[in-house]
Amino acid sequence: MTLSAVPASLRLPPWRALLLRPAGLTGTIIVAIVTVAALAAPLIATHDPIAVDLSRKLLPPGATHWLGTDQTGRDIFSRIVWGARPSLAVGLLAVLIGAAGGIMFGLTAAFARGWWEQVAMRIMDGLASIPLLIWAIAITGIVGIGPVRIGMWTFPNESKLILLIGLLYMPPLARVTYGSALLEVRADYVQARRLQGAGASAIMLGDVLPNCLSPVIVQATLLIAVGIVVEASLSFIGLGVEPPFPSWGGMLADARRYIFSGEWWTYIFPGLAISLTVIGFNLLGDGLRDILDPRKVSGSGRMVV
Amino acid sequence: MFVILGRVLSSLGVLVAVSIVLFTLVHAIPVSPARVVLGGDASEEDIAEFERDNGLDRPVIVQYLSWAGGVMKGDLGRSLIDNTVIAVTISQTLPVTLELVLWSFCLALVIAVPLGVLSAYHEDRWIDHLARVVATLGVSIPTFWLGLMLIAWGAVGLGWFPAGGYVPWSAGAKPHLLSMTLPSVSLGLYYVAIISRMTRSSVGDVLMADHVRVSRAMGLSRGRILIYVLRNALSPVVTVAAMSFGYMFGWALIVEQVFTIPGMSRALLNAIFRRDYLVIVNVVLVITAMFLVANLIADLLYRWLDPRTAR
Repeated sequence: MTLSAVPASLRLPPWRALLLRPAGLTGTIIVAIVTVAALAAPLIATHDPIAVDLSRKLLPPGATHWLGTDQTGRDIFSRIVWGARPSLAVGLLAVLIGAAGGIMFGLTAAFARGWWEQVAMRIMDGLASIPLLIWAIAITGIVGIGPVRIGMWTFPNESKLILLIGLLYMPPLARVTYGSALLEVRADYVQARRLQGAGASAIMLGDVLPNCLSPVIVQATLLIAVGIVVEASLSFIGLGVEPPFPSWGGMLADARRYIFSGEWWTYIFPGLAISLTVIGFNLLGDGLRDILDPRKVSGSGRMVV
Repeated sequence: MFVILGRVLSSLGVLVAVSIVLFTLVHAIPVSPARVVLGGDASEEDIAEFERDNGLDRPVIVQYLSWAGGVMKGDLGRSLIDNTVIAVTISQTLPVTLELVLWSFCLALVIAVPLGVLSAYHEDRWIDHLARVVATLGVSIPTFWLGLMLIAWGAVGLGWFPAGGYVPWSAGAKPHLLSMTLPSVSLGLYYVAIISRMTRSSVGDVLMADHVRVSRAMGLSRGRILIYVLRNALSPVVTVAAMSFGYMFGWALIVEQVFTIPGMSRALLNAIFRRDYLVIVNVVLVITAMFLVANLIADLLYRWLDPRTAR
């Protein structure tokens, strides 16, 4: 990169710069489609996703059943549309928990320094040394498969996943917050705000946090993709979303025996739904990184799972 | 030396903390393991007798310490459901999982490192774009769906590979390797993506360094420069690779389910569906230990390859 040319991304508002890049545009479109599908599932789905009709089982894609039917005659298109809900719920809620905790630890560690910095970052190191997938399996295994009842509320089985993934998302998000907050805390404007008499929490949340958010947003977008893959994988082995409720991973678990008998629509479409959704969030995350954090090579610096 | 000792001790500390959390979780559930094993219609006396026989009526701390003492001596206890020795179950299934992980790991390295180096050398050329597409697909396609598609293509379509199952070495090298090919590819692709991007970014950084420009100006051969570049760029790649090795054990469980390979996943999932909690705890602990060892090796390799970080 030459120094004389100011990158286009610095002159445009970020969302314009994002949509001008093919990767960013593709990612945004895919994420928008999946979000609309999840929110408006009852309006978009053409059939009841759990209505069994054995007389219509394993129909190939056609006019009434756009993507065919599964082994109990359920409409695959409708199940894919409804299946967007648990996928996005796990992906988004886990990242929200992780971001809330990660920002809290990262920001206060950079701000307070001293013993709290040590304690907070050592807690994050400890959490980072726990392998996500094994523990997602272990938690459901130990607590047991089934809904969680707390008082008058009943939470679905995948809420255990959301809590665990959210907890393990804290370290990467805390580290990026901490890294950029350390630089910001030394900046002149923070000193100026102190002299104005602003309180520590006002400076932290009102001034420093907005300046640290770019890398957090990039990382969070990429982590949504990870959460969706983990949810689908656990639903596939029967530890995630419980049947008969539709989930992409669960649909593939039902469909695996049809690989041998040729009903390709049962295992192609749910897999495409997962892969395209995850590609969408990854492209969006990489696109955001190119704009907000242009020094990084796109695709590097991911949380590995 | 003290640094290394400190890292070993902190890994052990995490392992102890993990085992305490696991044990606490098991005992935080209101339902007694005895109730789970004996079923809903067992009488209170049966439950009490079962708990007494298996030492479940002792305080949790005593149970933990007696189990931890056994683990030190290599005795992981017995399954509460069928009384099998857990150490035997693990010693039968771990080698299978380990072999799958090793193949995938080698495959990932052999593809990812050259791909990353080539794309860094030819920035914004077709190989770089190809590598980027491979990386995006690799991190996006879930391993289990990739496995299903590989079965549909390589086993059902072409008939070159078995659709699943595990053929031991004793049945011949060729059938054995054929049975491991598709699982290794499905497990490895994600890590090809991760490691190739790391290589690309690390080699790209070193290529911009002054010493590379000087070497070029001095007229050193491309191969000679490549060696210098690799030596400087390799330490973050080695770290990511070693960590990937630890993470692979998790995904190996999913891949084993797709290809019905009798590794750790069979032991773990059987235990989960039967609520055989002592087996769950031990299997999870063994895999977490594998993961921590991989992380420890990653850390030590990083210090050894890049002495600047040791300070």
